[in-house]
Amino acid sequence: MLERGEVASGTTGRNHCLLHSGGRYCVKDQESAIECIDENLILRRIMPGVLELNDGLFVAINEDDLAFKDKFLEGCAACHIPARDLPVKRALEMEPFLNSKILAAVQIPDGVFEPFRLCLAFLATAHQNGAVTRPYTEVTELLCAGRNVTGVKVVDHRTGKTETLGADLVVNATGPWAEKIARMAGMDVPVSPTAGVMVTINKRLNNMVINRLNKPSDGDIVVPQRTTAIIGTTSWTVPDADQIVIPKDHIDKMIHKGQELIPAIQHTVTRGVGAVARPLIRRAGGDEREVSRTFECFDHQHDGVNGLVTISGGKTTTARAMAEKVADIVCAKLGVRAECRTRDTLLASYRLFYN
Amino acid sequence: MSLEAPVKIFRYKPGDDAPRYPTYRVTVPDEANVIDLIEAVWRQDPTFTFRHACHHASCGTCAVRVNGYERLPCIYPVTEALKGRHEILIEPLRNFPIVSDLVVDVAGFFQKQEASRLIITRTAEAALVDRPYVRSEIFDEEGKLAERPYNRFENCIECGICLSACPTMAAADKFFGPAGLAALYRARQESNDPQQKSLLLALADGEQEAWRCHSAFECTQACPQNVDPAGAIMALRRDLITHKIKRFFGMR
Repeated sequence: MLERGEVASGTTGRNHCLLHSGGRYCVKDQESAIECIDENLILRRIMPGVLELNDGLFVAINEDDLAFKDKFLEGCAACHIPARDLPVKRALEMEPFLNSKILAAVQIPDGVFEPFRLCLAFLATAHQNGAVTRPYTEVTELLCAGRNVTGVKVVDHRTGKTETLGADLVVNATGPWAEKIARMAGMDVPVSPTAGVMVTINKRLNNMVINRLNKPSDGDIVVPQRTTAIIGTTSWTVPDADQIVIPKDHIDKMIHKGQELIPAIQHTVTRGVGAVARPLIRRAGGDEREVSRTFECFDHQHDGVNGLVTISGGKTTTARAMAEKVADIVCAKLGVRAECRTRDTLLASYRLFYN
Repeated sequence: MSLEAPVKIFRYKPGDDAPRYPTYRVTVPDEANVIDLIEAVWRQDPTFTFRHACHHASCGTCAVRVNGYERLPCIYPVTEALKGRHEILIEPLRNFPIVSDLVVDVAGFFQKQEASRLIITRTAEAALVDRPYVRSEIFDEEGKLAERPYNRFENCIECGICLSACPTMAAADKFFGPAGLAALYRARQESNDPQQKSLLLALADGEQEAWRCHSAFECTQACPQNVDPAGAIMALRRDLITHKIKRFFGMR
C-alpha cells in the first residue's frame, strides 16, 4: 500500500468524522444511504471502543424542513435505517443547546469516528495479514508494457530515492486524485475533486450529531467530537485537489448556518478550519450536491488497458465496502477464489500499526 | 486579505551531514493556521515531508515546534506565530528519532501508549458546558434502542508534544514518558477490575516509569488538550506509595 504522505493525509484524514447512518441521503440518494447504514452497523461491530456512538438528530427549523419530515421517515424506512420520531420537548431535554424553536426531531444511528485512527486500525489489521504500508512514497509513473500496466515507479520522499515496483495488478484507490493516476495509463475516470469547508469550534455543545431535516445543503450539520464540534460543510468543484484555497465567506457561512441549529455557537471560538476534496463520481447532469455519494469500481480492461483497477467515490463510512468490492474484482481477475472476511473481522488496535 | 510569511524550516534527509534551515516565502490568508503555511511550503517543494491529517486538533499527527515551542500547527494562527518576529521557525518534535524533515518516528511512542490498553472512548460528562442533559435510549450495535450513556473520545490525542517538552525525556530516552504514564493513570481510573488496576499500577512502578519524572511539569504546560500528564504522574506516585505502605503493614 503506497501513500504519498502520512497515513490519512489525504481526503480520508480530513473529513467530517461522521459515521453516517445514511439519513443524510435517504431521500435523494438511497443507494448511498443503504451502503451507509449497512457499513455503520458493521463498523460498530468490528471496531468497538473507537467510535463515539451517540446517534444523530435531524431537526426541523422551519416549515420547509417540517414538510420534509414525512419524506425523510419514508426514506429511512425504505433504506432500513432505524429512526425514532422524538417529541420536541424530549429532544430539547437531551440536547439542551439545540435551537429551542425546532419544530420536529428524528433520531437516527449516526456516529463519530476519528479518521486517522480508523485508517490505522484497518492498516494494523492488514499488516497482521501480511500487508506492507509505505507512507511518503509517491507514484510518479505507471509502468506499461503495451496495453498492460506492469507496476509503478515511485519516489520515497523520506530519502529522495526512486524505484520501480512490479505488480500483477495495480489498484488505483486515490480518491480525488484517481483521474490523475489513471491518466498515467491514458485512462479517464469520471471523478471530480469537490471541496468542502469544515469549521471546528472550541466547545462541545451537543452529544448527538445535529443535522438539518432537509436535503443536504451548506452548513447543515454539527458533528461533536471529543470536547469540540465540527460544522460543515460547503461543496464546490476544484480543478486540483492539492490547490484548495478556503474562501473566507465559506467559513463565515458555516458559523452562521451552524447557529441556526445551535445558537450558542455564537459564543464559541473557532479552533480549526480545514478543507478537502471529496471524490465525486461524475454522472450526467446535476450540480455537485445532486451527485450520488456512492462508489464505483472501474476495471480498465474494458477500455483496453489490463492490470489497472480504479475504485473511487464513496465515503469513509463505506471504505470497508469499497475495499471488499475492489478485492473481489482483483481476486476474480487473478483467479483467486476466496470470500472477503472483513465484515466479520475484529480490527486490531490502531496503535499496533506501528509494531 | 492575505499575508506573506517568511518561514524557516528544519530540513533533513537520512544521509545528510547536518540539518539545513532554508527560508521559504509563502502567502496565506490572514486567518490561516501554521499548518496552512506548512502545506504552502510543500506546494513549493514536494520533497518536503511533514505529518498531518485532520487539521482540527483531533488526530495529533501534525505536532511540531514553532519558534521553539511545541504546538499543533493546525490550531495555531500564523498571526500568533509572527507576533514580535519577522520570521517563523518550524522544527520537528524533540526526543523522537528524525525520519525526514518534520517527520519523526512515533513507533516507540505508540508502543508505550499501547501498554495501558487504554480504550480511547469514555463515558461523556453529565452536562454539556455546565448544562445538564437527560439521558435517553440510543441505538446499539444492532440498531436497536437501548439505555446507555453517551460516550466521547479521551482528551489525549497522542500528539507527542508532552514527550518533546519533557526535560527528563531529553536526558533519559528510556523514560516511559508523560503520555504513556497518563494513559496508565486513565486506564486505572476507567477499570473496575482490582487485578487490572494492580497490574496497571505495577507497570508505572519502575525506575524508568513514574519515579523517573523530575516534576518539571513542562508536559502539562505544553499539552494542547489539558490532559495534565504531570498531575497523572503525581497521582500514580501517590497510589504507589499508598499501595506500598499498605503492603508493608500487611493490608491489601
